[in-house]
Amino acid sequence: MTRHHPDSLSLMEYSAGNLTEPHALCIRLHLDQCAHCRSRVDTLNSLGAVMMAEQPKVSVSDTSFEQLMSRIDSAPEPVSPIAEAPRMSPLQKLLGDDINDLPWKRQLGDVSVLDITEKFPGQGERVVLQKLVAGGKAPAHTHRGTETTIVLQGAFSDQKGVFNQWDFVVLNEEDEHKPVAVGCEDCITLSVLSAPLKLTGTFTRLLNPFIR
Amino acid sequence: MTTLDKQPAKAEGRSKDPWGALLEKVGKSQDRAAYHALFEHFAPQIKYYAISNGLASHAEELVQEVFISIWRRSCLYDWKKAAASTWIFTIARNQRIDMLRKMQRTSAEMAVETEDLWQIPGENEDEPVTSLHRLMSERRIRESLSQLPEEQITVIAKVYMEHKSHQMVADELDIPLGTVKSRVRLALNKLKVILQDQNV
Repeated sequence: MTRHHPDSLSLMEYSAGNLTEPHALCIRLHLDQCAHCRSRVDTLNSLGAVMMAEQPKVSVSDTSFEQLMSRIDSAPEPVSPIAEAPRMSPLQKLLGDDINDLPWKRQLGDVSVLDITEKFPGQGERVVLQKLVAGGKAPAHTHRGTETTIVLQGAFSDQKGVFNQWDFVVLNEEDEHKPVAVGCEDCITLSVLSAPLKLTGTFTRLLNPFIR
Repeated sequence: MTTLDKQPAKAEGRSKDPWGALLEKVGKSQDRAAYHALFEHFAPQIKYYAISNGLASHAEELVQEVFISIWRRSCLYDWKKAAASTWIFTIARNQRIDMLRKMQRTSAEMAVETEDLWQIPGENEDEPVTSLHRLMSERRIRESLSQLPEEQITVIAKVYMEHKSHQMVADELDIPLGTVKSRVRLALNKLKVILQDQNV
């Protein structure tokens, strides 16, 4: 049961289709598991429809509909146009069946990371998977810019509370935290970073996938 | 469940919206007259949507892509789950995103498809409460929107019609980001989106 949701402003940007792809992915993964936020996005989509209806209209060309019909006639669809086949989740498409079994790079002690920025070319944001072994602790750090995180597996806790699978967290400059993986599973998160992390603890220079 | 499903809608004096009924005809029997009526109504909206999104030279093309998608997906449309205009808006948005992605990235293989990121999951759920909520929300939004101050509507229009982020809207209107966000929050509050936040 997710407890930590994206805020309305982010959902609005999602509904309007204005987020970068990594951010949209975080929201989409949360929506997959959260009926409450799906319902909020439904409302926001209706807002989009109402906005579209209340804007000016521009006539289409006279032949537009004929063109459309000839396209439809020349490429007839199968009798049942789209059977909604069970789809792979976007996460599966991106990372395969087992997120535990990835080329994780052990950083320090309990933390492993995997940079998947290259899967989102041209988005200008760092996209990183982080794994904290069950019971493990990450060093204290703050964030430069904004870090949007969704928990993909397990749970972690910090001074703000416990974040379970599919919970959504946004951290920025003011948030210094020292997450601990709780429960019996390794905690895996997906984070979108608008700017690098800043470590505040003793191991600042060692654990530094984010400081270059 | 069927009665539960239908009665509240009736109590609201609301059955299928006319566009929803047409969309279902297209889905069930590839009804071309219904499809044409939908085209007449929505194509000019979508063309303006394309132009305001900076796709003026591809506006006709976007209209075509959206309507091809409507034709193909109409069998999935369920009036109990979304008003036709909301359903069509999401298709227009997805096609707009898809067109921009293709224009920006000629050859690079995309790890995830547009629909993976933007299509709302849970299309198969069958929750009467949710259905009712979906049906009511568009009418409610139209009513509340008419009461919003112009400055709030302007911001929302830029977000939805010009795919501008809150930051870009702030830059363009030359007002602080915080002001944009508070206008949006006030508006969403009126539209009851924020109220739903508090029910968590």
